[in-house]
Amino acid sequence: MIITPRILLRLVVIVLAGVLLQLSFFSRVELLQTSPDILPALVVALGLLGGSMAGAATGFSVGLLVDCLLVAPLGATSLVLLCTGYLAGIYRERFDVTSSLVPPLLCMALTMFATTSFAAVQLMLGVDAPVSVLVVRDMIVKSAYAFFLGVPIYAGVRWALRPALIEDRAVRRRTHPRMLGA
Amino acid sequence: MYRKQVRRRRAVLALLVISSFALLTATYGQSSGGLQRGVSAVFGPLQEGADRALKPARDLVNWVDETFEARGENDRLRGELAEVREEAVAGEVALQENEQLREILALRRSGAIPSGYEPITARVIGRSPTVWYSTVQVDKGSSSGIEVDDPVVSGDGLVGRVSSVTAGTAKVTLITDPESAVSAKVVPGSAQGVAKGQVGDPEELVLDFIDTARRISRGDTIVTAGWRSEDLDLDSLFPPNLPIGEVTEAPIAAQEASRQVRLRPFVDMRDLDFLDILTGGSRG
Repeated sequence: MIITPRILLRLVVIVLAGVLLQLSFFSRVELLQTSPDILPALVVALGLLGGSMAGAATGFSVGLLVDCLLVAPLGATSLVLLCTGYLAGIYRERFDVTSSLVPPLLCMALTMFATTSFAAVQLMLGVDAPVSVLVVRDMIVKSAYAFFLGVPIYAGVRWALRPALIEDRAVRRRTHPRMLGA
Repeated sequence: MYRKQVRRRRAVLALLVISSFALLTATYGQSSGGLQRGVSAVFGPLQEGADRALKPARDLVNWVDETFEARGENDRLRGELAEVREEAVAGEVALQENEQLREILALRRSGAIPSGYEPITARVIGRSPTVWYSTVQVDKGSSSGIEVDDPVVSGDGLVGRVSSVTAGTAKVTLITDPESAVSAKVVPGSAQGVAKGQVGDPEELVLDFIDTARRISRGDTIVTAGWRSEDLDLDSLFPPNLPIGEVTEAPIAAQEASRQVRLRPFVDMRDLDFLDILTGGSRG
């Protein structure tokens, strides 16, 4: 991904929109007694499109913003989401995204990773809550939501960052050869 | 070049991880810091705007979820209601049975059952489905000492007599059966007659062949006469003074013309669960 000031601005807007949408909408709706969490999926999409550094950096930023807005201990969400974004970026750097099922599947798997890691961080911080079946159920349902939400999130982020994506530029050049001569 | 790039990546990653831990260590267990207050102040209006704009969509999604949840809740509550209803019915039945058993016990203690009779309590297990035969089946038979023509009572009074018997069951012909006839007398007074059943009407009996010299009034009680013929060495099937019913209609014209009055049995023949069969005693 080629980072220009314009693309950076788009990234900021994506992160802000994602966080606001999560806090104002997804966190406050319940389906099957579970609120969807789009932030891991958003970070996964950014990591898949931008690579490990972009994924880690946006994950850290998203986490920091969420912790600031929720007035939670800073760093916990950042740590989890930066790892999530980094792992998504590493996948992108080592494997080709050949199937359209890869982004939603990765969103699902890494959402599970993020929720589990967040629970582990909370336990390490001394939050004295029993790990019940309900917690496990919540993780599984959240991951399932991430699979379905991962498709539009990945498509939306890809559309928003299209000018910065090297592969998409190459595709555009191949499909519109006349533009090159112009 | 590539190695330099990798080193730079690792350095950035390490920096981010260390920053996270540093933030965590610095802010854990503290109330909101300056950074959080600042971010909240900047994003507060944005959040408020987003909150208002997204409220309809949020309400829609929550409505869908609540609708599905309410459906499941409704099914669950219906199941619970059915269970509770079954329990309530069972409790009601138990109460009713208890009441009938108490009445039977009270009848025994009152001395209405003459000496020489051994009462055996039996449960009604069957009932004639037609209006032509007023009979019930009970769960005690000859193995319990029950014989044909044994009188049968409930807590309210006379029910009928045993008309057939097997080892484990007995058939009781009720006093409301058209074939049934019980010699009866009126109290107060001493007018006598025969109480007979009528087809299809378990709530009414007719006291027939009454002595017209003695007047009968509405509300008079009818009990078994329990006669004994010394000449023929014959006893009535029923012991004397078992309550049968109460006179409901006793017009003088009818008493003189057809020599009969109408009466309502004390026992509700449609609501029999436990009966006392009076075994032993003398029989005609």
